[in-house]
Amino acid sequence: MSAEATNNITKRPSRSLWHTLFGDWDRTQITVSVILVVLMAIAPFFIDSPYFLGIIILAALYAFIGISWNIVAGFTGQLLIAHIIFLALGGYTTIVLLNVYRISPWVGIFIGGIVAALAGIVIALITLRYGLKLDYFALFTIALLVALRTLFLKWDFVGGAVGMYLRLANPSTAKMIFDTKPPYLYIALGLLVIGIVIQYLVYNSKMGKYFMAIREDEAAASALGVNTSRYKTLSVIIGAGLAGIGGGFYVMYVTFIDPTGLFNLGVNVEIVMAGPIIGGLGSLAGPILGALVNKPIAELIRGFLAGERSGITLIVYGLFLVTSIMFMPRGLAGVFQTLYMKIKRPSRDDV
Amino acid sequence: MALLEVQNITKRFGGLTAVSNFSLSMEKGEIVALIGPNGAGKTTAFNVIAGYYKADDGKVIFNDRNVTNKRPDQICAQGLVRTFQVVRPFRGLTVLENVMIGAYARTNNRHAAKDKAREVLDFLGMNKLSDQYANGLPIAGRKRLEIARALATDPKVMLLDETMAGLRPLETDEVIGMVRKVSEKGVAIFLVEHVMKVVMSLADRIIVLHHGETIAQGIPADVVQNQQVIDAYLGEANATG
Repeated sequence: MSAEATNNITKRPSRSLWHTLFGDWDRTQITVSVILVVLMAIAPFFIDSPYFLGIIILAALYAFIGISWNIVAGFTGQLLIAHIIFLALGGYTTIVLLNVYRISPWVGIFIGGIVAALAGIVIALITLRYGLKLDYFALFTIALLVALRTLFLKWDFVGGAVGMYLRLANPSTAKMIFDTKPPYLYIALGLLVIGIVIQYLVYNSKMGKYFMAIREDEAAASALGVNTSRYKTLSVIIGAGLAGIGGGFYVMYVTFIDPTGLFNLGVNVEIVMAGPIIGGLGSLAGPILGALVNKPIAELIRGFLAGERSGITLIVYGLFLVTSIMFMPRGLAGVFQTLYMKIKRPSRDDV
Repeated sequence: MALLEVQNITKRFGGLTAVSNFSLSMEKGEIVALIGPNGAGKTTAFNVIAGYYKADDGKVIFNDRNVTNKRPDQICAQGLVRTFQVVRPFRGLTVLENVMIGAYARTNNRHAAKDKAREVLDFLGMNKLSDQYANGLPIAGRKRLEIARALATDPKVMLLDETMAGLRPLETDEVIGMVRKVSEKGVAIFLVEHVMKVVMSLADRIIVLHHGETIAQGIPADVVQNQQVIDAYLGEANATG
């Protein structure tokens, strides 16, 4: 409010800055995202605890992964429930390339992204070929997750049920292995910035608007010239590719991967879905806002209740998710957007 | 050859022939109305022409190209666009964004699409609604949005499916005005309509469907005097009007 007041007095220069940063809701979301990234980036100067830094690292990574899902599920409205498949594929690719072929994870996580994107193409083509939409599409991805878990459990080359561990060598930047937290944080934030930029470019492009047209009404979109099959495939490719990259980094950070840990719907809810849903599916800032709430709360619940009866953490976490959906159906971003519109309306009349 | 040539299309659903041997020929800027009782096959004919249903027989030639059984987006790219009887706005998007999606059919550039959308909204007198979300529009606004979106694709032919249904008389007059304006730009308009007032005031020609068969066609004044049409659809009361 005070910024608005000065804005009215000093006219041009400050108004244009104000407009650049908060001129409309989209700009405001980007500004807020950048502020949150900066806050996370300076966190190591104030926080020493590796535990808390670890939470921030995963929050940044979940935000990036949330963005990847937001493009498919939020923009295009495709119920790609088992999105974690792409994370797992990216993760396995990265660790196999490093352990078996000695390829640096700096390259490996991007190859992981490509592998995940190719898997995305296959999934999109199969579901389009057989006309699987909405809930059928969702069920297909869940079935695929179960099938892949079984496959990886039996596949000795990738470690079967044991999974694969990073051969912990001396810290080495080339191998993306560090003995302190901040380097991981800055890689995660680097990915997040890439994610924010890609998401914004998609959102503002013809492709992004076509994604949203498909989400709102597929038949109407095709009447207006949208090749719905092509754009649905594109959105899966982008989402899957980004998730694969995220999965690659995730494995480098937690240093191991196993089939039951990642081909897992519960983990999928926590890593992929909770952030964007709490934050506001389809919005620009939602995945980041959501991850910054979701990750700490999940951690808090675990910290307080993990010692109690087994399973209680999941029940409480589930209750938290349900209440947040009940009271904020459009997520935190939706709540903030309503507030923003209320604040902005009077000032518009002035102009 | 005419701009749009529909040659003997037939569409069957199982044992039911919804449309049989339907033909139509339209020139630039013409307005043709398709009328008939409920279940006559009007919307089915529309859906076949616009690519939503596959024809069992017959051909659709548009702009000298065979577009039979092409996908709706391919047909739209050729310049034939349809609206829906039950309006289908992109609810979560603003009116401007809705129209931009139509405009993107002819450009990849965001600014060009925005300019085109603004131009269309201006042309149809809807610029005040630009920033409103489509789900906040009343029904008349949604119907007008359907036309605006379709017009933004720069069509040569527009198929309007019962655009006036559910509108109050004053709103109907507004939409009739819109359709006239679009037609004056040279866009050929093929409309399905139940409101006879609309049909009589707009159409250059009328085609009457009954049980999937074309039972009459010609200029409005002749068609409404046709005994078969009166029996099947209009009833005696309307025959005079």
